[in-house]
Amino acid sequence: MIEAHDLGKRYGSKTAVDSISFTVQPGRVTGFLGPNGAGKSTTMRMIVGLDTPSSGRVSVNGRQYADHRAPLREVGALLDAKAVHTKRSAYNHLRAMAATHGIPNSRVKEVIELTGLGPVARKRVGGFSLGMGQRLGIACALLGDPHTVILDEPVNGLDPEGVQWVRHLAKRLAAEGRTVFLSSHLMSEMALTADHLVVIGRGRIIADAPVHEIIAGEGQVRARVRADRPQDLLHALAGDGVSSKLLEPELLEITGVDSRRIAEIALRERVLVYELTPLQASLEDAYMQLTQSEVEYHSHDLPVRPAGAGIGEEN
Amino acid sequence: MTTSTATRHSAGSGVNFGRILRSEWIKVTTVPSTIVLLVTTFAVMVGLAALFAWALATGQEQLDAAPEGQNFGPPPGQGIPDFSETALTIASSGLIFGQLLIASLAVVLIASEWATGMIRSTMVAVPRRIPALLAKNVVIAALAFVIGALAAVLSYVVGQPILAGQELDFSLTTDGVPASIINTGVYLALIAVIAMGIGTLLRNTAGGVVTAVALFFVVPTIVVTLLSNLADWIPDAARFLPTNAGEQLVAITIAEDALTQLEGGLVMAAWALVLLVVSLAVTKRRDI
Repeated sequence: MIEAHDLGKRYGSKTAVDSISFTVQPGRVTGFLGPNGAGKSTTMRMIVGLDTPSSGRVSVNGRQYADHRAPLREVGALLDAKAVHTKRSAYNHLRAMAATHGIPNSRVKEVIELTGLGPVARKRVGGFSLGMGQRLGIACALLGDPHTVILDEPVNGLDPEGVQWVRHLAKRLAAEGRTVFLSSHLMSEMALTADHLVVIGRGRIIADAPVHEIIAGEGQVRARVRADRPQDLLHALAGDGVSSKLLEPELLEITGVDSRRIAEIALRERVLVYELTPLQASLEDAYMQLTQSEVEYHSHDLPVRPAGAGIGEEN
Repeated sequence: MTTSTATRHSAGSGVNFGRILRSEWIKVTTVPSTIVLLVTTFAVMVGLAALFAWALATGQEQLDAAPEGQNFGPPPGQGIPDFSETALTIASSGLIFGQLLIASLAVVLIASEWATGMIRSTMVAVPRRIPALLAKNVVIAALAFVIGALAAVLSYVVGQPILAGQELDFSLTTDGVPASIINTGVYLALIAVIAMGIGTLLRNTAGGVVTAVALFFVVPTIVVTLLSNLADWIPDAARFLPTNAGEQLVAITIAEDALTQLEGGLVMAAWALVLLVVSLAVTKRRDI
């Protein structure tokens, strides 16, 4: 279990993390989602004590990371696939890490097998592809058989097979009762892997809820309805938080009330409904909506120039 | 709590200094460049000692061959050591370059962790940080001591047949010689700790090596020589530079008003201690 209370980090005048509080529960995969520069990595670095919080505190399994007697057996973290000496082999890197905790070589070989590093384990890490580097980082995280696993952007640079492998691994670790906390800026990946989401933007938590709730769009349910007498149906549905749009003469989009309720009211009002489609917002939509004002770097469409008005051409 | 968690937290599963030392030892021995540097240091030190012996023997030969009145060797009886006295320092004669190689190795060991990002893995495994850095210092100091002392012994051995040609050879038990062999190891160990302190503070290999070479070589030889006529205090203060103090540590005969062996050793150790403590304190506080 990871518990953050008013956790904050400032670099000079820039606030990277703005007193956030959240809890990561064991037994499920918690996704840490946010645009680039939102503060995900900084938060994770504070969890394992690489960065000192400017304010607040964060504990893992009830204690600050550095206070654990055997930190690698409590928490396994992949923060940066490149946190390895490039001239050392993967096997020796893992051996050096394991030695600090008296973890036997048999476990080193186990994680090498588990992460599929076998064929390259004796090669220098400097020549590794990004994907191999990620696998080594994950191997290192699993070395101490930890109860809490923290993975920062674990699928970065992995091939499709690797992505699927990480997905299964995260789910399996959670099913074993471990705390699994993984970050990503890819909502599609989170939709498939995570059970619970902590969404962060510009250093602030903007959502902390189960994935299905976030997909439901901050409580906004929508449905598309085709009915004979749309005006009568609308009139009967009118109430708090219900809004609607008439898209076509007999086609409505109704927001704020679920499909079953719509059907019940239509039945009561004796309005013939010949199509009723609950609209599932994608996690992507929900995410874009949530983080719209929170992204650090916006991209803009290129201005459209009339033909002939080429750049740098005078006359 | 399941059985597996119980095993996980069983006694003896935690971090301790012995384990961190072992980890640092694995790190040092599994990067090819460190092994190459250690072997090079050893070879260079012994090679320099052989050259030193050869130069002394040649000098003695020319001195003996020179006709009376054209004596260009050190005039006898004026407190300047003659060749036979100088020969006694052969054990430590390789230090002048050996120290630069060991210093580079010490800087590289710590600065490369920052350059490659390895430092984050190190500090995640040992989040208290100080034991990790301390272990790294112990490992490099121990290696430097062993390399220094072994090179000193071999320097003596290699030098004897060369010196024997001019009857400059001497016994290993000559007064001061065993101490100078041990102290050559101590000297290199202290150089390693000072250099690692510099590397830890600068976190940059090139900057660290340049700074260490400046402190150990450029400042005491070139800068002090150039400036020593400007003010009396400059040569006076220069005695307390780490390598100048270290020269006294390995010296066999101590000139008047120079630091004694013990004083020289203590001055050098003070440099090492201050840099070690500062680098530990800074690393403890710094974001990594």
